[in-house]
Parts: sequence; structure tokens; C-alpha cells
Amino acid sequence: MIFKFSLSFLLVLCTVNIFAQTDTTQQEEDYSQYENAGFADSGTKRYCTSKILDMSPQKLITVGYDYQGTATLDAASFAKAPGSVLSFPAQSLRIRSAQGLRLGANVPVISRNSGIFQLGFNYAETRYDIENSGKHPMGTWLNNYGLRTVGLQATLFKPLNEKQFFLAQAQADLNGDYTWNHTQTLKYLRYSGTLIYGWKKHDRLMYGFGLSRTYRVGDLNYIPVVLYNYTAPSRKWGVETVFPARLQVKRIFNTRSILSWGHELEGQSYRLNNSGAVNMGYDNLELRRGELRIRFMYERSLYRFIWLSVQSGLRYNWSYDVDHLPNGKEFFRGFFGKQPFVMENELSNTWYTQISINLVSP
Amino acid sequence: MLSVFLMMAGIALPLLASNDEGDKLMGVWEPSNGRARVKVEKVANKYYGKIVWLKEPNDPQTGLPKLDKNNPDDKLRTVPLKGYRLLKDFTYAGNGEWKGGTIYDPENGNTYNCIIKMKDDNTLDIRGYIGLSAFGRTDVWKRLQINKK
Repeated sequence: MIFKFSLSFLLVLCTVNIFAQTDTTQQEEDYSQYENAGFADSGTKRYCTSKILDMSPQKLITVGYDYQGTATLDAASFAKAPGSVLSFPAQSLRIRSAQGLRLGANVPVISRNSGIFQLGFNYAETRYDIENSGKHPMGTWLNNYGLRTVGLQATLFKPLNEKQFFLAQAQADLNGDYTWNHTQTLKYLRYSGTLIYGWKKHDRLMYGFGLSRTYRVGDLNYIPVVLYNYTAPSRKWGVETVFPARLQVKRIFNTRSILSWGHELEGQSYRLNNSGAVNMGYDNLELRRGELRIRFMYERSLYRFIWLSVQSGLRYNWSYDVDHLPNGKEFFRGFFGKQPFVMENELSNTWYTQISINLVSP
Repeated sequence: MLSVFLMMAGIALPLLASNDEGDKLMGVWEPSNGRARVKVEKVANKYYGKIVWLKEPNDPQTGLPKLDKNNPDDKLRTVPLKGYRLLKDFTYAGNGEWKGGTIYDPENGNTYNCIIKMKDDNTLDIRGYIGLSAFGRTDVWKRLQINKK
């Protein structure tokens, strides 16, 4: 009796395995049965996603190089100390090139339908080659030490439902002419951020409005921003923008090859004289560097998830002035403030090229 | 004789239990973007997922059913997306995880390594990644119940 039972038990087991060998995908299937479906868990909500169709790929890791051509910096005369009658004379500095490494990483830490949280890191340097670095402090700082930025970012995409979402980004950057030998304390971190409330109308359009605290024009500013990401029904054309920070109009050749043109505002507030190379009476001078990059950009997949990005265009100077911020304390000037700069410099415009290799996100 | 039965049962029952647990993956699931529905089936002890429904079933340019036009292999670009297997070769690794498989993204023609983790009976974490799991993205899929007509 027991033998019969165990035999039948084995037969059942074998039958299960025989059924498991069947390739059900080979059978014709009535797909219409899947049209009428609901979530098995009645409490489940649908949320909009953070992307639209044919968006530029999100870069997980970036290794790039930026090169700017010749330019002239008319460095202004400025007092050797606040209120001093002694001053450094003005000088016209001939910049042969300004170039440097650009590194970035941006990794999703939490990825849920109800929210995505990403952490990022960026490093950018600008090494100046100045023909006549001479006597003006700007020549000494830029030619001998260059400018550096090390930053951390956090980005949160929070959908509220299938149509509406919040997008928040916060960033802390350490900017200056510091080096490994002449470091800069975290007291001089500069913080920026953006908050946007938006709508995802369909799989090819999302837009939103918000406010940004930014250093993209050099000094601290608060500006309204507009997010607009759109792909045309043909899926050959598109727009991606967080205006005014950046805008790109895209020609999508296919999902592995995109040509775009537009602009990006790029800027920061850089602490100068970290090395103490220039003897002066200011404890903290900051270069308010802001530039508009009007560019063409071509991005294509080299091999699977490895993308090449090449951009080139005009680097238009917006601001290259210097402020005195005692003890690193920031202030708000905005577009209409009257606070005087310590130095009002003129930097001529030039062309630039940037090339990068990127690992893009799934 | 009883000891033989118990021995056989001792071997067979964990196998059955393991299969049952792995089979929890079977069913129809919806990715977070809601643009498709994927039916997971078992073939030769491995799990596969095919597209059974598309929010936009026809190509807006041709008006015909969508094809896998982004596939890097030219010969596969005429294969209809409906019925296409985008999850392949998953085996149950225990603890609510299915490993060893790949996920295909028809939007860009890329295939990624993939780990599937069942958060609860109706929720999957689908992590597509490149080489290392850290370089990836997790999408949350929800189980669907098919309502009979």
C-alpha cells in the first residue's frame, strides 16, 4: 500500500516536471484577454515616471575634458585692502587656453514607483595657460593654481499620481583655486538647489515650474525656472530644458544617436588666494564666474552602454567679477542689487570644445 | 518500506516547495511606466517574460503593430513586440530572488543583466544593471489580475 502510494507520488512529481518542460510561448495566444486587467493588490496606485520617450540617456559615470581657446582677461585695478589707497594696477592678461578634466557620477540610491532618489558627485577643473601672468593677482591665481570644483548633489523625483510630480535638487560645491597643497575648508561650501512642480501630460511631454537658488550666473541668485521635456509624435525631434539653465533642441536619428543644439549656463563662485601667494588685506575674495555656452552637441552609443558626447560652441562671458565676502558670508545681489564688486573684470568670448565618455543608465 | 517512502518524500518535498516558491513569479505584471504588460511563464525550469499588451500597440508612423525596430540585430527588427520575450533565462535562487537572467529594453534595443526580487506577492523589484549591480536602475512591477470578459 505504502509502495503504491510512493510510486504514485513519484509519478505526480514526474508529471509536474514534464509539464514544466512545455514551452508555452510557442502556442498561439489570445492577447485580447490581457486588455481588461487591474492590479491584484487593490491598494496599488499608478504614478508618473521621471522620463519621457527618447530622452537623452542619463549618465551614471562621466569622464570628460573641456578646452577653451584663446581669450583676453582685462583684470581690473583693485585696492590692496578694503578701504586702502594702495592698489594692484589693472592688466590685460592673454589666456592661451583654459582646459581641464570633468568627472561626474550620478547613481540612483532609491528607486520606487512612488519616488526616485539619486546621489551624484562632480569634479571640474580649469587650468589656465596665461602668456603674461605678470603682476596682477588674477594672473598669479589663475595661471599657477587654476580653478576647481568638487560637488555633491542629491535629486528627488516624487510623483504624486499619474500626472503630477515634484522634482527637487540640492547641491553643495567647494569652488576655488585650491590644490592638494593648499586646501580650502568646507566653510566656503556654496549651496544651490531647485524645486519644481510639474505635470506629465503623456509619454512624450512633461513640464513644470519652479524656483532655483543658483550660482550659474556667478553670484548667488534666485530665479524662476521652467522644465519642459517634449518628444514629437514622429520621435525624430525633441526639446529638453530647465530654462534658463539649459536648453537643447534635439534631432533624434535613432535611440543611439542624437544631435542637439542649445545653451547651458555654467558658473560658480570660486574662493581665490587659497595658497596665500598674494599678500593682500582681504580674508576672502570670490570670483563670480558665469558663462553662457551656446553649443552643438552630438551623442552616440559607441558600444552598448558606453556613449560618446562631443559638444562645441561659443563660450560667452557673463560674469568674471570678484567680490569680497568677509569670513565667507554670502550675500544676495540679484540682477538689481547695487553692491559694488572689488574687481570688475572683462573676459573676452571664445570657442570651446568638450568631449566625454559616459556610462549611461539602463 | 516506510523508511523508503519517508526518504523519497524527504527528497521530493523540498524540491516541490522550491518550485512552488519560484513559480510565484508566474503571472502578468505591469512595469512602472504602464506602457506594457508582461506575462511571466516557466519553460524548462527557467522563467521568461513576454509582452502581452501594449498601451500603444501600433506604430504611430506606420499604423501597423509595433515591431522591435531598435534591436541591434537587423534580422530581428521585423519581429512584433507583442509576444516578444524581454525577460529571459531566470532561475529561482531562493529568498524571493530570481537571478541569471537578462532584461531587454525595446525602447533602446539594450539588454541588461537583471535580478528580480519579490517584495511581496504582488510587487517585484526588477533591477537592470551593467556589469555591477551598483550601475543599474530598479523598476517596480505590479502584479495584474486579468478580469474575465
